[in-house]
Amino acid sequence: MLLQKKLIEKTIATGLSTGADFAEVFIEDTTSENIQLVGGRVEKANGSNIFGVGVRLALGFQSVYGYTNSKNPDDIVKLASDLSKSFSSETKTEAKPLGKLEVGKRHKAKISPRDVARSKKVELMKAAYDAAKGYDPVIVQVAINLGDSVQNVTIANSEGRYVSDCRTHVRIYVQAVAGKDGVMQTGGEGPGAAKGYEYFFEELDIREVAKDAARTAKTMLFAEDCPSGIMPVIINNKFGGVIFHEACGHSLEATSVAKNASVFCGKLGQQVASPIVTAIDDGTIEHGWGSANYDDEGYPQQRRVLIENGVLKTYMVDKLNSRRMNHAPTGSSRRESYRYSPTSRMSNTFIDNGKSTFDEIVAATEYGLFAAKMGGGSVNPGNGDFNFAVSEGYMVRNGKIAEPVRGASLVGNGAKILWNIDMIAGNLDRARGMCGSASGSIPADVGQPTLRVSSITVGGKKGGK
Amino acid sequence: MMNLELLFQTAKEKGCSDVSVFLTNRSELSIEVFDGALDKYEIADTASMVVRGVYNGKMGTFVTEILDDKLIPSIVDAIIESAKIIDSLDDAIIYAGDKEYKKLEGLVNEELKNQDVALKIAAVKELDKAMHAADPKVTIVETMYNETTRRILLQNTKGLKLENSVNSAMFGGSAIVKDESDQRTAFDLIVSNDPKDFNATKLAKEIVSDAVAALGAKPVPTGAYEIVFHADALATLLSAFQGIFSAEMVQKNMSLLKGKLNSVVGSPLVSIVDDPFQKKSSRSRSFDDEGVATRYKALIDKGELKTYLHNLITAKKDGVASTGNGFGNAVAAVNLKFLPGSAKPEELVKSCKNGLFIKDVQGAHAGANPISGDFSLQASGFVVKDGAIGAPVALVTVAGNFIQMMKDVVAVADDLKTGYYGITTPSIKIASMNVAGI
Repeated sequence: MLLQKKLIEKTIATGLSTGADFAEVFIEDTTSENIQLVGGRVEKANGSNIFGVGVRLALGFQSVYGYTNSKNPDDIVKLASDLSKSFSSETKTEAKPLGKLEVGKRHKAKISPRDVARSKKVELMKAAYDAAKGYDPVIVQVAINLGDSVQNVTIANSEGRYVSDCRTHVRIYVQAVAGKDGVMQTGGEGPGAAKGYEYFFEELDIREVAKDAARTAKTMLFAEDCPSGIMPVIINNKFGGVIFHEACGHSLEATSVAKNASVFCGKLGQQVASPIVTAIDDGTIEHGWGSANYDDEGYPQQRRVLIENGVLKTYMVDKLNSRRMNHAPTGSSRRESYRYSPTSRMSNTFIDNGKSTFDEIVAATEYGLFAAKMGGGSVNPGNGDFNFAVSEGYMVRNGKIAEPVRGASLVGNGAKILWNIDMIAGNLDRARGMCGSASGSIPADVGQPTLRVSSITVGGKKGGK
Repeated sequence: MMNLELLFQTAKEKGCSDVSVFLTNRSELSIEVFDGALDKYEIADTASMVVRGVYNGKMGTFVTEILDDKLIPSIVDAIIESAKIIDSLDDAIIYAGDKEYKKLEGLVNEELKNQDVALKIAAVKELDKAMHAADPKVTIVETMYNETTRRILLQNTKGLKLENSVNSAMFGGSAIVKDESDQRTAFDLIVSNDPKDFNATKLAKEIVSDAVAALGAKPVPTGAYEIVFHADALATLLSAFQGIFSAEMVQKNMSLLKGKLNSVVGSPLVSIVDDPFQKKSSRSRSFDDEGVATRYKALIDKGELKTYLHNLITAKKDGVASTGNGFGNAVAAVNLKFLPGSAKPEELVKSCKNGLFIKDVQGAHAGANPISGDFSLQASGFVVKDGAIGAPVALVTVAGNFIQMMKDVVAVADDLKTGYYGITTPSIKIASMNVAGI
């Protein structure tokens, strides 16, 4: 460890030698394991160990980044030296000495994935398989993926930050396929946590999860194609929160705000949503899927109230973008691995509880769509236009949930949809997702209570009324 | 570099019958310019090794980025442990190799390799400048250059040793344009390993004119329309559904093409091939990750499904030869290409009475289901009324089933384009699809 500290200090000093005013070292050692079970048999199993060092230097708004997976100290110092050639400034910044290593204490795994026999992991998967396959004869296939990873990072910078964090993630994904007469439909569930295997052994009922995936597949097999048009849509809790993530969350990240490329630029303190909307990005939730002790610049993760009663309160800001924005960093910097320079990203993002109930929302809806389960989506932060897929939907008629419909997607504009949220229930719950953006694919949690959007475009195969 | 002979020997001693390594060395250079100044500059050198070993007839796999001989015993143990839990009925195969591998020329472009970094930065700055200058409505421009050099080595205990080197680059930008009432964005890039292909002036004009043309875009009324998909939109769709050609998905009951070999799955205008030898593609290879020689093949020929894509295992199950499509852990195409037709793209538009010209579709990772074939995607483009391009369109969805769509292809243009996904497509016309708007 002492050797590592000396090497880091030398790397930082080399990085600053030509005038950069900031230098950062990110060291990562991650082990992971993935098992795939299809048709009740383990088809693939692999482990991996990735290791690498990322060095970032900055001067003002300009930054340079490099990475290597050489363990040779000379290669790492040489990387800093190569990167430093991008700068030539008379004014030199002196690095603050690194103090004692701060070690992240929360979100610790009780049962590390590395201490669990692979045969135990397979038992879990087979239990899930049996539950999904046995659900109904129309279930023609079940594919299950079990993945775990233990990411150890050490982050240090020229301002004296020196921290380490261990992030453990476990996740299972159950995909059920229902088929009949040449038609196939799917249902999927993917629970996970920033925990060890205690999540599977002590908390989650994997059979219920698997049955639910099978139930969705079967329901969609016998569903009609979704009609198209503009209508009210009731979006269920848990993964329904992807709508805020896509429609607004990305546009509140400094990645787009700092370059004036977001529809929410210059709107701090202004009403940007219906007054019933409060939205939070909280990277400190105990064992939250998107939680960590420190962000990937080494600063403590935070709880950020993004929108309070419809008023925009803060953006999500990383250190370098904070220079452009004149806005304090918010501990929001994240990256997939050492192969990415970090930038502002969401963590666990959700809309807070409202005052209605689920039943009241359905009863108040004459005609519309109930999006019971959502797939993913995407957004163009430049103009706020977004889309997302409905993986299990039902028509709502005369205040009651009616027949199932399949193949729907929703499109709209992020700035507008926030105004069209007119009812929010009190059943907040969250779900797991993977978010892909500038700094790679990272675990991101989404959530919300069941809510209603008074009017949004629903796209389905069936066409208009 | 790890001592492979020592790795092979240790694996044999611990009971592995055969072992194969796949080593990738990668260098990357990435440049971003914002507001005329260099905003981001990245360099990287990495090595990563996939080790596969057969233990008791089952295949274990371990990926490592630490190429240290001291780790050899633990890597072999990890392979054996993962092989032990596999109860698949499939045979584990380490391949001894083919008699011949095609010699591919031009995979490494020396000019790209030797070009000074300063010139590359200057090219991106030139693109930035040209985009700002292209129209007064341009407000924000981001431009980028990304270059990858990759060297792979495949070596196994059956005596096979194959190497391949390739370099390639992407050069592109995005623009935000604004008028009194609207804000639109456009993005495009060129993928090539020849620096001469990176024409900043032309690319800048195309991106900015695309963005400006979209200003004022609105949804159209919900209904059925004739649809012309621009090459870019078709590439996105084809990328989302390419898994249906995988024999692995077919054998696992997860592909709509199951049982459809030699039958009609598209209109006679539809021909889709996999061309592993395509020029200027960083994906082009003479061998796949299992060491099987790659080959050019028609997947769909004039509407008829000719073959699935195979690796060694799926081929053995179907009693055929591998098509040389074993990549990573799965079966995949190298360079998918939708063959061009004879029509001019303008003719596709001219033939529409009540249609939409779709330039771009979004959200395919979630809104397109490769197992059911269903899709409903956010789309943008232009109204086509009585053969003439009209007002810009945004925030509509276009929905259908991929197989039905292939059957409904009524015209294919001659305007081939290779895009971001490495898929080459022309523009095509579909007889009718459902669109949701207002």
